[in-house]
Amino acid sequence: MRRRTLIASVAAAGAVLTAGLYRFTDLFVKHYPPSPYDDVLAALVDRERAARFGALVHDVPAPGALAARLRGILKSNGLAGAAASDIMAGRLAEVDGWVVPESVALLSALAARV
Amino acid sequence: MTAFLDARTLPSASVLEPDIAIIGGGPAGISLALALADSKLNILLLESGGENFDPANQKMYGGVRNGLSYIALDAGRLRFLGGSTNHWGGWCRPLDEIDFEPRDWLPHSGWPFPKSALAPYYHRAQALVEAGPWLYDKTGASVAAQGPLLPLGDGGIYTSWFQFSKTRDSDLPTYFGHRYQSELKSAAKVTPLLHANITGIRLSPDGRQVERLDVATLNAQGGAGKTFTVKPRITALAAVGMENARLLLASNDVMKAGIGNQNDLVGRFFADNPIPRDVATLVTFAGPLSPYYGTNLALANGPIVKATFSPTDAFRRNGRVAGSLTTVEQPVELDEAGKAAVVTTAIALGVDASNAKAYSLGCGLELMPDPERRLTLTDEKDGLGLPRLKLTMRMADEDFRLYHATLREMGRQLLASKAGMLRIIRHEEWSKNMDWGNHHLGTTRMHADPKNGVVDADGQVHGVANLYVAGSSLFPTYGASNPTLNLVALTLRLADHLKKVTV
Repeated sequence: MRRRTLIASVAAAGAVLTAGLYRFTDLFVKHYPPSPYDDVLAALVDRERAARFGALVHDVPAPGALAARLRGILKSNGLAGAAASDIMAGRLAEVDGWVVPESVALLSALAARV
Repeated sequence: MTAFLDARTLPSASVLEPDIAIIGGGPAGISLALALADSKLNILLLESGGENFDPANQKMYGGVRNGLSYIALDAGRLRFLGGSTNHWGGWCRPLDEIDFEPRDWLPHSGWPFPKSALAPYYHRAQALVEAGPWLYDKTGASVAAQGPLLPLGDGGIYTSWFQFSKTRDSDLPTYFGHRYQSELKSAAKVTPLLHANITGIRLSPDGRQVERLDVATLNAQGGAGKTFTVKPRITALAAVGMENARLLLASNDVMKAGIGNQNDLVGRFFADNPIPRDVATLVTFAGPLSPYYGTNLALANGPIVKATFSPTDAFRRNGRVAGSLTTVEQPVELDEAGKAAVVTTAIALGVDASNAKAYSLGCGLELMPDPERRLTLTDEKDGLGLPRLKLTMRMADEDFRLYHATLREMGRQLLASKAGMLRIIRHEEWSKNMDWGNHHLGTTRMHADPKNGVVDADGQVHGVANLYVAGSSLFPTYGASNPTLNLVALTLRLADHLKKVTV
């Protein structure tokens, strides 16, 4: 086998392995099973940490109702816009004492319950 | 004069006849004596203790506590010249304008005059407590080089400032007895008399005048030593929040409920400023806070300052909350849930929190006026026969709720300005082990109407023409500011009044 071919083969195998690890393991990024709420949860950059925080949110609706509510909240300006609106309007939640925009609390709560 | 006069050296049954007798040699009594020193009045300053701490004398302050956990009655105050300034921390801040206003959400609130009535006295008070040039809420401009203010943006909370009393050439606060001993000794018209314990304020049979003060010294066994009499034209009771009430209640030979207590108000409305720790966690997204938030910072032009978070008067009025001064205590580490809260929120706000820092917050709180938080007399007596006190201490759920609303507003502002965020810790976690300011307030409250106050707006006991009260026991509403600067200003106002009524 020519040296060039060998190097290319090793590189290709490495790429395939890396892609496989990325896609099928949680080594690089956590994977979540598909859910009916992925369109909503896509607003989260760090879903794992949001879920950890969201586990502290109490008294929230069932995931279906929560997701429906969040779709309405997020549809116009995304999470950043919803959070800004909440702050302006004083719609704040206290999650384990943390004062946060209500939209952040609800989205985190959904992440924790999926 | 090289030494103070010692009451134990007076002949028994002596009769002293000053123009004004001041009972108590703490910050109020000493300030009053110094302010009257340039008048033509002969001033007798009666201090129960000596120049230094004496355990036997201190025991006279012992009493009983009931209700909410509170410091022992003989531990939160000091019975020797200088009074409780002998252990104060030097924290100074003027009361806010709203502290003087009646507010419908704070029953029994309001002073009989606005803050402007004290304004002419604050700068002299500031000089007496030696807190440096008057900066307070103008401090921000002076500390710009030390780092920026936390950008709180518009809202109900702002960065306010303490200044600290500082004795010259030392970092200690001004201990009034030590600091002003030479002035007291050299004042020709002022006679400080140490070891002189008041055992009774005796009224004329009609109850309208103080006729005499019964005074005793302590003997080596803790009982009565020499006894003598003072017959002043005017008496100013400046024995601090607890003892002012005790002396009025115990002097009940003519007015059976006690002097000034015809409406059952003496000793009621006792208050202090709770000083809880770890009330909240402040996270700043951009990194460490400027140093003046967490430490006492000495400025080049003299004053020592520290930043605090205060509700604005407008927020207190519109948000219907009480006073509070929230301070940065120390850096803390967040747990995983806290880090998740910060990262999630910062991402949502579109800010970088990779340098975020967390700090625990403490505070000084204002309590709502409460007539059932009170001092009463017990059947037990001290060595001189004066009944000991019982304190019934309590806080209302509303006190906590009002502070919670203030913290929530601070949390909102931090989010709005994208400067950080706040975690409010449940008061059940911090209220069990609260410190107290040892600020004894309210027990001889001022009010123009005798039905609502023990003394009038001039500090005169309602119905007793020549008896005045000085000190923080007059505060009908308390604020969150430490009281010493404010009670000294109020006392200087009383001095001006006494000069007028004695001409």
